[in-house]
Amino acid sequence: MPDNRRLVKDRLGELGLGPHREEEIVRELSEHLDDHTDDLAQGGLAAVEAHAQALEAVSDWPALRNEIFNAETEEAMMNYRTKVLWLPALGALALSHALLALMQIWGSPPRFHWLSPARSLAPYMVFYAPWLISQPVVGAMAAYWSRRARGTVRHQLLAALAPAIALPGFLLPFLPVAVIVDWPVSHELRFWTGFLVMITTWGLLPAVPLLLGAAPFLRKPHAQS
Amino acid sequence: MAGIDTKIKRGSGELAILALLDQEPLHGYEISKRIEQQSGGILRFNLASLYPLLYRLEKRGWVQGKWEAAKSGRQRRYYRLTPAGKKQLVPLREEWSLFFRALNRIAGVAHAR
Repeated sequence: MPDNRRLVKDRLGELGLGPHREEEIVRELSEHLDDHTDDLAQGGLAAVEAHAQALEAVSDWPALRNEIFNAETEEAMMNYRTKVLWLPALGALALSHALLALMQIWGSPPRFHWLSPARSLAPYMVFYAPWLISQPVVGAMAAYWSRRARGTVRHQLLAALAPAIALPGFLLPFLPVAVIVDWPVSHELRFWTGFLVMITTWGLLPAVPLLLGAAPFLRKPHAQS
Repeated sequence: MAGIDTKIKRGSGELAILALLDQEPLHGYEISKRIEQQSGGILRFNLASLYPLLYRLEKRGWVQGKWEAAKSGRQRRYYRLTPAGKKQLVPLREEWSLFFRALNRIAGVAHAR
């Protein structure tokens, strides 16, 4: 019987799954080929012919390599993203909004900065200092959480900035709807100014303290484990 | 008979593997042979189509592979259904049953010759 283990190893090439797992896969596939060859030989085929026919099962070895790699990493990648990005980001979002709600109930009221003396028409900017002051804690918590879960610096940053991304991100899809529904208003300058103010108030402004809080915790994950 | 379309085959492969392993632990080659035999040769999983599917099921935690000595004395990686896989089998069976009933209502596949 030909050395199927060597043959599989050569044709499959490097899988990028670590030597132990790769060795296991090569062993398993080669033993499948052994069994199939034996079966065909018992069915009356000559050994060489049986082996050639068993090998026909794989017409494209690089495609098989990719299929195996995807099967091995797909679920792991999803779990990884959940741990390093989605959970810390959701945690940050929940904490940030909980703080906002609590401060609105028990804290001082937010300050409104009107951008024009004609208050009834002009857009205004909400400047809620106590909430903004609390945001470095949120940024720090999210960045640290993501780092502990072995997230990259990019994951840590995105998790920390989640509260500043989420609200403008949530409101953004409504813009085209608002433009269509409120056509006359949307063509006035104050509509677009209002939109920019919204992005600034709920996106750019909280992003600064969130980043400040996250900065000391932004680090590459350790190489081991 | 024309071969079963690859996508249908892959989807049904999950159910076939889980159902077979629900009966007893099997290694890869045994799984492929059983599927072929029990489907009357209509479903065929060879080395290239079987193992990516098996590894995917293993990663999901539905099956677990373990090296054990086969009857021949050679070491083979035997797959067992995990409790999570067992749980998954019930809705998968229902899903496919619903799918075929729906298809039958539209196309009358039960009466196809």
